[in-house]
Amino acid sequence: MIQLIDVKKIYKTEFYEVYALNGITMEIKKGEFVAIMGPSGSGKSTLLNMIGCLDKPTSGEVIINGVETSKLNDKQLTELRRDAIGFIFQQYNLIPTLTALENVELPMIFKGMSKQERERRAKELLKLVGIEEVANRRPLELSGGQQQRVAIARALANNPPILLCDEPTGNLDTKSGEAVMQIIKELNEKEGVTVVLVTHDPSLSEYAERTVRIRDGVVDVP
Amino acid sequence: MYLELAKRNLQRTKVRSILAVVGIVIGVMAIASIGIFGESLKTSVLENFKEIANEVIITPAYSNGYSKIDESDINKLEKMVYAESVIPIKSDRLIVEYKKKRSYTTIYGMDEEDVDKLFDADDGSIKLKGSCVVGYRLAEDKDLRVGYKIKIGNDKFRISGILKKEGRRFDINPDFVIFVSPKDFEKISDEGCSMVIVKVNELENVEAFKNAVEKSINGRKEKVNIFELQLITERIDEAFSQINTFLMAIAAISLLVAGVSILNIMLMSTIERTKEIGVMRAIGAYRQTILKIFLLEALILGVIGSTIGGVLSILGGYAIDMIMLHNAKYLFMPSTAFYIAEGFFVGVVTAVLSGIYPAWKASKLEPIEALRYE
Ligand SMILES: Nc1ncnc2c1ncn2[C@@H]1O[C@H](COP(=O)(O)OP(=O)(O)O)[C@@H](O)[C@H]1O
Ligand SMILES: [Mg+2]
Repeated sequence: MIQLIDVKKIYKTEFYEVYALNGITMEIKKGEFVAIMGPSGSGKSTLLNMIGCLDKPTSGEVIINGVETSKLNDKQLTELRRDAIGFIFQQYNLIPTLTALENVELPMIFKGMSKQERERRAKELLKLVGIEEVANRRPLELSGGQQQRVAIARALANNPPILLCDEPTGNLDTKSGEAVMQIIKELNEKEGVTVVLVTHDPSLSEYAERTVRIRDGVVDVP
Repeated sequence: MYLELAKRNLQRTKVRSILAVVGIVIGVMAIASIGIFGESLKTSVLENFKEIANEVIITPAYSNGYSKIDESDINKLEKMVYAESVIPIKSDRLIVEYKKKRSYTTIYGMDEEDVDKLFDADDGSIKLKGSCVVGYRLAEDKDLRVGYKIKIGNDKFRISGILKKEGRRFDINPDFVIFVSPKDFEKISDEGCSMVIVKVNELENVEAFKNAVEKSINGRKEKVNIFELQLITERIDEAFSQINTFLMAIAAISLLVAGVSILNIMLMSTIERTKEIGVMRAIGAYRQTILKIFLLEALILGVIGSTIGGVLSILGGYAIDMIMLHNAKYLFMPSTAFYIAEGFFVGVVTAVLSGIYPAWKASKLEPIEALRYE
């Protein structure tokens, strides 16, 4: 389902080079729940961005559903992100001018779905994450936990087989964090969504079936 | 939905959007009201020439050795279908004796009813039976009154009337002239007919009339020159149109300023919304979609500003017309709608053009770079 072959990422700045990923090879199977753990600055987010086709490796290959992503152009990568991948960020990253409902509709708008259909599905998704009552509020009128639930609903909009979560509970209190993790766990168990969870919080790895540790851009084999 | 999104983004930075709209409003207003005023000015100037626009002046072809227009040719002119009226004019410069003083003066030999048709009397009346009519300036210079007698050659004439001041006309200027009847003219001068003024029945027949004259009188040899006064109105029209274009181009500078301000606020907006752009790209927006959203914002600014500007330019045009021409009757012409449409169009195009660079820049952002932006 997701394969990384000797993936390297080197950030070049004017003064120095950062080897963020130093040759990572791994495989994540369909329906798996994998936690990627490591200290801050170890390259976890960089790795997740590679899987999510938001960034391109300096060398190596990322294969999603059998497709070598290095061979795709910008338009095809955009469609892959839109249809196959759901993102959940630490900062929620909702669009502030749009209501909760409209935020959830956005990926479906990008896909060209009819207004009726996407509204129906967006309501359904907000119900699924348990916040249908705040559908018409804007992000600033929502608590952090509510915002992250909207973000989960948005990530699920186009029914992607893969969910990528970068420190999804990082900005939440323990209770909201647990609720959010519970939703993600259920999606994995009931819907068969593949989940890749990046975190530096050891307590979250309990939700995963498997934990991959990385340190200084390489997989840390204990 | 993209329209809705664009609208909300503009509402988010309300003051900025309003300022951009105001810029467009001013620019569109400047262009359209100047256009409207220019057209009003032109129309009001041309109105003065309306009476003479269908006149044709025929003179002898002096360069071919002709110094007068033959009686037979005048007859031909009178018989032409397009000729509404034909006014032959004989003229000579003769010594005239006014109360002992003598000086050379232009004498016109014309039919009484023709003089009456072309000019109005300021004092006395227009009668040429044994009497004469004097132009306004001549009367003033020589201190002439109705009833005075003057001597042209050996003949005495009583002044029956003094004409109103004419100023400049394009056919003949009566201000320094003495008018006598053709019969009296023959007694005092040997000169023939030096000019024929023909009024053509319809403006659109001027060309046909001219062709007919060329054929019947100038057929064998060029005997007469033909000058259509219509040409003058065409020149005036042309000159005013050029001035108008020039003034509108100057007004367009204000629109340029508005365009730069849109460019500026939209660049600010792209920077402020970098992260949002990254999010949208991450969840499946094409570069093209980002481009579209930003261009839509520019378009909305342009349409709102141009609409308000278009409406206000009617008021603007009215105000300038009232101040400069002291009347607004020329406001309600099709050209007014044209200039408003033109102002609107130029306003919208300026806004969209100004939005292209920021929109392009926004669409070129790499998703991950944009997402990481704080
Ligand atoms: N755009 C960038 N330019 C330069 N260095 C970067 C950039 N992004 C990440 N890095 C560096 O790469 C390393 C890995 O970063 P990251 O993947 O964000 O770590 P983590 O998510 O594990 O905290 C860090 O040293 C970070 O400073
Ligand atoms: Mg990170």
